[in-house]
Amino acid sequence: MSAVRPSETEPFDPYGPERALAYSPEDATFALFNDYATGRPVLRHGIRIPVPTEVRATWQRSRTPELTRSAGPMETIEGYGIFTFPYGPVSMGVPESGKFEVRTYGERILSLEPVTGFKSRRILTSIAGQPISDGALRIERLAGNFSAAHAAAYLAAAESAAGIEVPEGELWVRALAQELQRIYNHVHVLARLAEAASQNVGAAQTHALAEEMLRIQGSIFGHRWLFGALLPGGPRRHLDAADRRDLGRRLNLHSEQFERLWELFLGSRTFIDRIQATCPVRREEALRWGAVGPTLRACGVAWDDRLRVPVTPYNDLFLELSQESAGDALARMLVRAREVQSSYLLLEQMLDRWPRDPGRLLSPAPPVAPGRGLARVESPSGDLVYDVTASDGRVTRIGMRAASQANIPLFARGLRNGVFTDFHFAWESFGLVFAEIDA
Amino acid sequence: MPTWIGQAARNGIVTSRYPAEPATDAEVPETARPPIPLRGDAALHDGVARCPVGAISEEELDRGKCIRCARCRPAGFEFRGPVEASTGRRAELRVGSAAPAGPGLVEALPPLVGFPRSLHVFLVDAGSCNACNLEVLALANPLYDSQRLGIFFTSSPRHADVLLVVGIPTPEMAPAVLRAYEALPAPKAVIAAGVCPISGGAFAGTPGLLAGLEELVPVDVFVPGCPPAPVEILDAILRVHGRARTAGGD
Amino acid sequence: MDPAGLLLTVSVAAFFVGAALGPLGRRGPYLGSLVGSAGLGIVAVLVLAGGSVTGATWAGPLGDVEGLTLDPLAAFFALAAALVWVATSVYSLTYDDRRSPLLAITYALTLGSIALLIAASDQVLFLIGWETMTLASYGMILQAKGPGERIFSAAFVFLAFGEASTLFISLAFAGLRVGTGVFAFGPHLGPGDLATLVFVAGLLGFGIKMGIAPFHLSEWLPIAHSSAPSNASAVLSSTLTLAGAYGLFRLVSLLSSPPLWWGAVVLAIGAISALLGALFAAVSEHSKGLPAYSTIENNGLILVALGVALLAQSDGVHELYVFALFAAFYQALAHAIAKTGLFLSAGYIEHTAHTFDLNSVEGQAKSGSRGEFGGTIIATLSLAAGPPLAGFVSEWMVLEALFQSYRFGQSWVEFVGLLAGAAVALAAGLIVVAMVKFVGFSMLWRPRPSGAGPPESRLGGVVGAVGAMVLAIGVLAPWILRFIAPAVSGFAGSSVAAPVGQLLAVPDGWSILSGSPFGILSPPMIPFIVVAGAAVAAGYYALGRPRPRRRVPIWMAGSPPGQPGETYTSFGYGTGIRIMMRSVLSTREVRAETGESSGAGVDPVAAYNVDLEVFDAFKLFYEALVRLGQGTSAVLKAAVMPGRLGRYLAYILIVVLLVVMYVAAFY
Repeated sequence: MSAVRPSETEPFDPYGPERALAYSPEDATFALFNDYATGRPVLRHGIRIPVPTEVRATWQRSRTPELTRSAGPMETIEGYGIFTFPYGPVSMGVPESGKFEVRTYGERILSLEPVTGFKSRRILTSIAGQPISDGALRIERLAGNFSAAHAAAYLAAAESAAGIEVPEGELWVRALAQELQRIYNHVHVLARLAEAASQNVGAAQTHALAEEMLRIQGSIFGHRWLFGALLPGGPRRHLDAADRRDLGRRLNLHSEQFERLWELFLGSRTFIDRIQATCPVRREEALRWGAVGPTLRACGVAWDDRLRVPVTPYNDLFLELSQESAGDALARMLVRAREVQSSYLLLEQMLDRWPRDPGRLLSPAPPVAPGRGLARVESPSGDLVYDVTASDGRVTRIGMRAASQANIPLFARGLRNGVFTDFHFAWESFGLVFAEIDA
Repeated sequence: MPTWIGQAARNGIVTSRYPAEPATDAEVPETARPPIPLRGDAALHDGVARCPVGAISEEELDRGKCIRCARCRPAGFEFRGPVEASTGRRAELRVGSAAPAGPGLVEALPPLVGFPRSLHVFLVDAGSCNACNLEVLALANPLYDSQRLGIFFTSSPRHADVLLVVGIPTPEMAPAVLRAYEALPAPKAVIAAGVCPISGGAFAGTPGLLAGLEELVPVDVFVPGCPPAPVEILDAILRVHGRARTAGGD
Repeated sequence: MDPAGLLLTVSVAAFFVGAALGPLGRRGPYLGSLVGSAGLGIVAVLVLAGGSVTGATWAGPLGDVEGLTLDPLAAFFALAAALVWVATSVYSLTYDDRRSPLLAITYALTLGSIALLIAASDQVLFLIGWETMTLASYGMILQAKGPGERIFSAAFVFLAFGEASTLFISLAFAGLRVGTGVFAFGPHLGPGDLATLVFVAGLLGFGIKMGIAPFHLSEWLPIAHSSAPSNASAVLSSTLTLAGAYGLFRLVSLLSSPPLWWGAVVLAIGAISALLGALFAAVSEHSKGLPAYSTIENNGLILVALGVALLAQSDGVHELYVFALFAAFYQALAHAIAKTGLFLSAGYIEHTAHTFDLNSVEGQAKSGSRGEFGGTIIATLSLAAGPPLAGFVSEWMVLEALFQSYRFGQSWVEFVGLLAGAAVALAAGLIVVAMVKFVGFSMLWRPRPSGAGPPESRLGGVVGAVGAMVLAIGVLAPWILRFIAPAVSGFAGSSVAAPVGQLLAVPDGWSILSGSPFGILSPPMIPFIVVAGAAVAAGYYALGRPRPRRRVPIWMAGSPPGQPGETYTSFGYGTGIRIMMRSVLSTREVRAETGESSGAGVDPVAAYNVDLEVFDAFKLFYEALVRLGQGTSAVLKAAVMPGRLGRYLAYILIVVLLVVMYVAAFY
């Protein structure tokens, strides 16, 4: 290991306009991001905070290289015949690398502790000192299937920190990319759930539908995972009228296919029975541990960053919030399915009202005094927050809280008293990605 | 009333014809294939400054480092190289200015010994962004259906012939990768899929990370790409088997 | 007295002589037992081959002639017991090197008294043997290591059940005496209320000793809770229950023309016992409790076969009657030998791993001798009914007998047979879980590098020899069945032929036929098939292209293997059954907060102790029994035993008067 890595954690400095800045996974106060009572976000999107010239010690969210075992407070379980069942870090059940330590007396999960950090690529620390645009290359590769959300949040935070005005057309492209990727991820979750439930025809059909979305993304942006689509300086391709017509046509087919599949899934008793009451999350737990995204909305909390922290173009578009109350895997899937439907609708609206002048981002960005920007976007798995301090067009400090980081304690808690076979349904239903936990 | 059978029948056969027929534009976007310097030395010279990962030097373009961000495109690079870019020799990923800018770029690798029949593949994520993992998983979906080619994914390295590694090896994952390699019974082959295990890709040079998979285990096939498309991964697995398409040929 | 009779007398005496030599050293009783068992075995073989042998006889106190005699029925049980005792006595000579000489003495006394009751020609001697057996084995259980209070309570439970059993048997024998007019075993008792009384009392009395439901507590508790010495456990489980089976068979053989419901009751009790035994064996983590529960299962199977036989007898289905009887006898033989192997193996495990808890054995017995390894595998496979072993043949016969319950004339009997068949099939499945658990967690586990004691090749050798016996009893079943036919004839009261015959291309006499024919099994052919199959595979391997051997380290999902606390426990292996059968086992999770520890987060982490408990519903029965007993004794104590001497003298006077009146009335 090298000594070049910056110091891992610095003391928290409670300066700043927002009390809510006091977020760090150690404090488990993610919930402070939002004031659920008034329905107002405490931490706003795209605000700029001047940073004094003298470098102040601020919190820094950087991955420690050691494995992390504190995804959420767990009980310690002892008893006759009880043992730890280590699952991971390399298992085909979860295609990513991450470990779970399950305390069990066989069959039943008494407690589950996720061990993260195996994939720590030190992205956030390695970006410090880099130009904003080069950092974006790493950020979009932070979590490949959430690349649009991460890139959009990072860019929004970095641009507001650097004082860059973003043309409207660019924001529309970002929103478009995010909605496409949201559909991909939700459809993928559905396919994985169907696979786990041995709904083989359904899983094959749904996987094909997810693959079709990757191909749409590939043909529109030249990359199946939208890498390079959201860069300062504009995407690789701009959408002209013909592109938009083509995209609209393919999305229509895609949505028709999705509606058919979803109807069939809703009619499949075995599938619905299997995910119903699996890995339930109660509303109080969700609020206490700071659940986000479909996990939060599935237990009766009406919160979607696209509505609560509206930015262009969402503030001009019609979007219905989807909400469920049961909090189980089925409720999460219902929320996701409705979000897919509303994303089709959003995309249709976007394509209808696409701005004429795409606009060009000024490149290189004008150097300005050091500033700090905050941004939050609704990634497919939920609220994603970036906090970027930039100076002279370079990133000096970067903090991030991903949806999977917020939701993994809920996953671990929800699975208590479940059985081993619940594991995959639970994992997939949360849409967790180790890559964004182990940034 | 809609039924699953009706749904399956309506969609018909969607499976790719690859490798019997070349990869289509839908399978690998025409602008996301391995890069080619169109204008030779001049392109290389212009591209050096534009490349954020140092894949371009005055002499050559290293596909093992290229993350296909396309920033060099205005300088004369195109991303239309043959899909069959996987190779058993790291050096072959380096494309010089004299290299032909078209098909026939990479020679077929002689088949590795010991795999006369089906091939069982074990996936290890050494530190990826999840895109490579999902592309590997996509091989099992009906559009690619790797089982039609006798390629199966196992859930234990003890049942596998091939270790398919994605992602840049982190120090935390290095022991697990080594354990997987040791648990793989001989004869065995290792595929480094994507530029991360080849060179670190976008994360090359990050302090604390390994420079590549070769620091840990011997690599038999390198697959460039960030991430490589399912067809490109399929090409690499077939190359282990000696069944890969010759680049660009029919 | 002919030479065989002399040998019988000397053999029975050898046990008691050995016991008397006990104070001089541990070897005396064990050597005496060895000599006695060997002699008894030889006499038994002679009887089965030639006919009854009579040893010493004398005039009883009530004018009857009593003495030692071995008829074919008794000889069968004597042979099974002798085989077990030879093994356990040799084993004891090495195993028992540190314990009190009392263990050796009570061991020899137990064996001698069982030999006495099997060789008894009449009820009085049988009862003397039975009571001595109960007291001697009570003494044997007291020799256990462990917390004294637990041993005493376990031994007391054993004694209480033993005395209850003696009480019922005395009642049954009294009825028999009244009905037949003699104490000697011989004359049959015809049908009637008296016969029913004898049957019910006998079933209760001998059932208690066999540990059948709802008296299974009497079987497992003394063995498991007291962790009785292993040679004692083997004798308790294998031959004490064998004595119970002998008594029941003897008694039933003396009752002619049983009504239909007797068979149904025996069948139902047997099926329930088999299922409960298998179920509790599957969820037991005690290296002796598990085999003890398995004994209940096996005794249940014996009763099932006996029940089918009685039903067939009442219904006049002679062929099925004979086949079911052979099944019952073979089940008794197969179980006695295999279970001995298992208990001796448990002793070996205890000897090397110093634990009875299967969770913590962790394969430490694996480093032991080959005899131990092979013998245990064979014994467990046999108890799990793996071909071609003894248990496989006997369980096949029991199931075949059940399959033919359609032959019964009345539909309700067919229905009982159907339910019993389902229960037995489920038990057969569950016992596989138990046996896999036993052998897997003790023998097949990757051994922990340290902690294992040195291999005890002599102990292991005995286990291996028992394994060889189990294999022989399985493979040579057709011949053994013919050999024990006199015993079955003795039970049936008429000469019957073993269900052995010829079918298909198998040589004559190599196959067991159920029905004519209903099913067929040829145990001697199985080794041929196995060898032939292995030869084909070996030939294919030798002639084909050489294949590289692929040997790789174990894979634990990328984690370092073999971390302490990260290994699957035997408890975990059985939890599936605990949860699946929760309606029978009354499984419940007990969670108790034990405090808090500081976790990585802000909030303190609560610490819990979690136990998954199973509950035997029959425990309620015993609790009620205990309450009743305590209540009654309190009342009696106040009313009858006030502690005044005059009162007691009055009682004695009343008893004497009653006896005088009784004797006067009789003669």
